[in-house]
Amino acid sequence: MLRKLLKHEFRATGRIMLPIYLILLVTAVGSNLAGRGMMDGRSEALNILGVLIIMAFGFAICGALLMAFVLMIQRFYKNLLQDEGYLMFTLPVSVHQHIWSKLIVSAVWFIATVLAIIAASLVVAYQGGFLRELLDLLRYFLEGLQKLKISEAFNGTIYLVEFAILMFLSLVAFSLQFYAALAAGHSQANHKMLWSVAWFFGMQFVLQFGGSLLMVGLNKLDLYDRLFSHWDPTPAVAIHVGLLMAIGFLILYSAIFYAITTFFLKKHLNLE
Amino acid sequence: MPVLECKGLTKRFGRATALEDVSLTIEPGRIVGLLGPNGSGKTTLIKLANGLLTPEGGYIAVCGAAPGRESHGQVSYLPERTAIPTWMTARQLLDFYGDFYQDFRREAAEEMLDHLGILPQQTIKQMSKGTREKVQLVMVMSRAAKLYLLDEPIGGVDPATRDYILSTIIGNYNPEAAVVISTHLIADVEKVLDEVIFINQGHVVLQSTVDDIREEKGMSVDELFREVFKC
Repeated sequence: MLRKLLKHEFRATGRIMLPIYLILLVTAVGSNLAGRGMMDGRSEALNILGVLIIMAFGFAICGALLMAFVLMIQRFYKNLLQDEGYLMFTLPVSVHQHIWSKLIVSAVWFIATVLAIIAASLVVAYQGGFLRELLDLLRYFLEGLQKLKISEAFNGTIYLVEFAILMFLSLVAFSLQFYAALAAGHSQANHKMLWSVAWFFGMQFVLQFGGSLLMVGLNKLDLYDRLFSHWDPTPAVAIHVGLLMAIGFLILYSAIFYAITTFFLKKHLNLE
Repeated sequence: MPVLECKGLTKRFGRATALEDVSLTIEPGRIVGLLGPNGSGKTTLIKLANGLLTPEGGYIAVCGAAPGRESHGQVSYLPERTAIPTWMTARQLLDFYGDFYQDFRREAAEEMLDHLGILPQQTIKQMSKGTREKVQLVMVMSRAAKLYLLDEPIGGVDPATRDYILSTIIGNYNPEAAVVISTHLIADVEKVLDEVIFINQGHVVLQSTVDDIREEKGMSVDELFREVFKC
């Protein structure tokens, strides 16, 4: 059922995000043309047009990022906690599947938006010989990879995987903070949105306060000295340890918000 | 086995009690009217049966199980508001129901939409309020469910549309299933009901067959309703 939820979630969100990517592409092509002599001072009107097109490209970048963020919140709110919730929560699917479908689709759109902005920036920068230079760069990179030792290649691959997991978890944790606040706030009988905002700031405060207390406590235990007095890791291993600790922290952080979200959607659903 | 069973069911919203100590049983093969004035607790009961609200006390079971993923596959629910996503086209809505419900009869739904003159590429947003309600009903009644929970299906529509809705319900429900119709428009639904449940201020005040009401009390359901709920 998760696959079906994902299909319909992509259908619902794609109709908004794909036209935004198209606008990004069109303004990127326009900006590229604007940089090719449109603004060389021969015509005042062309100058103004060039500036406007470049500004439009800037707005399109901001708009794409903003829309990915707004859509993440709006889909959870409108599709699950408003009128559409009557349909969604009576489907033969679990609350976990609902939450994961929203999380996965939001993360995909955030990543796609970043990739679209990078691609659009390459379009803006494109000029004669650009592709050749890009291919040269790629060739040097691949040649560099071939010269790596097996241990370096292995570490590099693991770094990439760890970094990708870290990015995905960051997006999941970011989204879950909002989902938890909305789910908790909407379990109330009245003033649901006001309660959601209160829950958001309340949870942030508790986590910051709890996190600070934990750090102070850990500091008193001298864990760092105790660990590194007996162990002297290589820089490569130290990076792995750092990344894995960050992943562990994000898993814990996400798990707290995930538990709050599922608790309220399962046990205290209170659709208006 | 009853398709819907409640025992001592209680639901509160803050200090207000919407349902208190409600106990009832609905057997398959019956068309049941859940009748009561506005604010009597009809919608709350239906929402509890769908797991959209959590009770403060008591027990509710749909097809032998607590409302949840399992029961959702067996219950076809028509909410009192438009819950279908308005950005969808009629075709996308058919895909949606077909994907999630194994008992969805797509051909039957297509035939009913065609009869209403709705084009597959038409979005829900482009339709009038009345047409949206009809489309939602078509989707709900195109399922071969074990229990149909229809919340105010004829509220706020013109008499011609009421007739269309009632004929759609009668013409399409699974005869082995139970149909629960919540309404306060008794005269319109009386002719299709086998059984009635009167609900007032969160309490069940009567559960009886329509035949018993006519034979024992010598009056129609509408007349009895007016007598019981006299202001």
